[in-house]
Amino acid sequence: MPQVRIIAKNFMDMVASLPEMKLDKLYENAFICEAILRSLPPLAKKYVLQMLCVEVPVNSKSMEEWVLPDGVSKHKVAIDRLVQLRIFTETNKKKGDGPNYTLNPIFQTNLKKLLVYGVVLPREPMPSSITVRLPSSEELEAFALEQWECFLLQLINSSQTERPLNISSSMMKTFQRGLLSQRDREAPRLTESGFQFLLMDTNAQLWYIIREYITSSEERGIDSADLISFLLELSFHVTGQAYNVNTLTEVQKNIVKDFTDLGLVKLQQGRKESWFIPTNLATNLSVSLTDSSSRKQGFVVVETNFRLYAYSSSKLHCEILRLFARVEYQLPNLIVGAITKESLYGAFDNCITAEQIISFLQQNAHPRVAERVPSVPENVTDQIRLWETDLNRVEMIPAYYYDEFPSRDLFDGASDHARSYNALLWESPDDLKKMRLVVRAENHVHMRDYLSRQK
Amino acid sequence: MASAPSKLYADDVSLLMVLLDTNPFFWSSSSLPFSKFLSHVLTFLNSILLLNQLNQIVVLLRATIQAGGFVIKDEQLIKEGSGEGIPSSLLSGSLSMALCYIQRVFRSGPLHPQPRILCLQGSSDGPEQYVAIMNAIFSAQRSMVPIDSCYMGSNNSAFLQQASYITGGVYLKPQQPNGLLQYLTTVFATDLHSRAFLQLPKSAGVDFRASCFCHKKTIDTGYICSVCLSIFCKHHKKCSTCGSVFGQAQSESSTTNRKRKASDT
Repeated sequence: MPQVRIIAKNFMDMVASLPEMKLDKLYENAFICEAILRSLPPLAKKYVLQMLCVEVPVNSKSMEEWVLPDGVSKHKVAIDRLVQLRIFTETNKKKGDGPNYTLNPIFQTNLKKLLVYGVVLPREPMPSSITVRLPSSEELEAFALEQWECFLLQLINSSQTERPLNISSSMMKTFQRGLLSQRDREAPRLTESGFQFLLMDTNAQLWYIIREYITSSEERGIDSADLISFLLELSFHVTGQAYNVNTLTEVQKNIVKDFTDLGLVKLQQGRKESWFIPTNLATNLSVSLTDSSSRKQGFVVVETNFRLYAYSSSKLHCEILRLFARVEYQLPNLIVGAITKESLYGAFDNCITAEQIISFLQQNAHPRVAERVPSVPENVTDQIRLWETDLNRVEMIPAYYYDEFPSRDLFDGASDHARSYNALLWESPDDLKKMRLVVRAENHVHMRDYLSRQK
Repeated sequence: MASAPSKLYADDVSLLMVLLDTNPFFWSSSSLPFSKFLSHVLTFLNSILLLNQLNQIVVLLRATIQAGGFVIKDEQLIKEGSGEGIPSSLLSGSLSMALCYIQRVFRSGPLHPQPRILCLQGSSDGPEQYVAIMNAIFSAQRSMVPIDSCYMGSNNSAFLQQASYITGGVYLKPQQPNGLLQYLTTVFATDLHSRAFLQLPKSAGVDFRASCFCHKKTIDTGYICSVCLSIFCKHHKKCSTCGSVFGQAQSESSTTNRKRKASDT
């Protein structure tokens, strides 16, 4: 079973796990309130809005009357989430009545201000008279994508970069932690989660990196709460507008430089001033807290004869396809390959699952085939799954074999003991005279202890 | 395994069409001043935009009658309107405009926010708009767009009740107009996805009365053309809509098959 799992959507869990003090400090920033509100489940959003002008505590029983019988489970999820994020505070006056809830006062006042006065950014966009020529939205998008792919390439293959980024190698190391494993004197290899990471969509990848960035921020002496609030603030800036760098603090200036490498912002230098332009990667951050709302167009066509055509010039796409397909030749805008048994076995060796490959092919299907159902031919998906199950026909577990028990009691005790560790693999059936046990190797120590104690 | 459609939109992304009644005749006599009403509505609109980055709002304002000769007509109307009181606003026009916009959104691509219409109305119904409004309601029903209505006037609005009832929206007449914002956020801010789980106000009784085609009056009982189902308040020789020739009206006692309750239609 995979031990490390990349869960891209749990940024909010990260926020929720912050200590009380920090969370309350976060809520002092109106942008965070807004971003967090938007990340809530629909029902929870509704409750916050409903409670916005209510100053007195509301009993949980009367809240339950808001929902229909169908919605009770959703109601519970919503309330739990609100309590977890400390948006609702529980006050319990009488026992047996259920808790009373009030809205977090800081959160409440901030939201009220937002509603009445609208969103006010801490900095104004610069007038076009100073900024010479701003990139068009297409140029900006292209810049963001290129920067991001460049970063990804460097992440998975540090030696193969054309244009080195100014991200420090120590920072790169923290990003690579968990994605790459380095053995002595060997080139670093992608781990299983590394492969999963590559197959995720851009927003999910971005959030993974940002999360690593935030968790490592304390080591660099930056308060993670500051970083989160700046990040969310950035996501409310207007895409394509220029903002003066001088409005940032020193810490934020450094952060912006790092973000430039990730493609979140573009830095430009004018005659006197310099400014940063948020790209759509940045402004999508707060949207994509809960779901991936922006996605690139697909590019892959899979044919029933297992041939694969990828309309892409990106080196990264080629690298990703190489993970599970044999790339045959590359034209300027087209990568042609084939899904073969050998190439898939290579992928399975690296712990990529068939489901991941199939969902990657489906999610990145070329618009022409994406309309079709299924977008990837059924015989191909079935075959990929079959080849995977071929490998799993025999499973090997190192084990110890126990024989010649002196008594039935000891045998039963031993098998119960093994069961309590969930380590019992096989025991001889009761009707047989011979008493034999097979137990996982890692539990041999426990078994030995147990047996010696019984003697 | 069926390929799961990628979810580009969350469940609760909504497009809210707000039809705002700016009828000066109503607001000059209303207990809630228009400026206050507007600030309630603006706060509500802000809160909708706050809920989701992809939410969209379109606000349509509608005044009385047509714009041309507005002032002169007003004066006449004030003089004339001693019995009836406030002249009605153009609900049908704004509804059709909203539906047109929604159709455009539907055709913009496979991914679009879920549209709904909210009517904020103060002035009373104009029976002369009956046919146009009913047509708009049915086309909303066809395209599965719920019409919510919040009626600020003193009596209930039959048109809005019918609109909400037919399209599956919510009709509400706030008991305390000063707390309008709370009504708006509690009831009308609910996105279509959450409506399946929440207890929302149910319509107590709906006034199904129709208006006749000949004098545009709201009637309880009337005559219906058996060919095109047009409604008339009194017997005609010929249907004004489809031109069918009617037979002689029989005496009151034996006309049960021709004379029907208009509400049955």
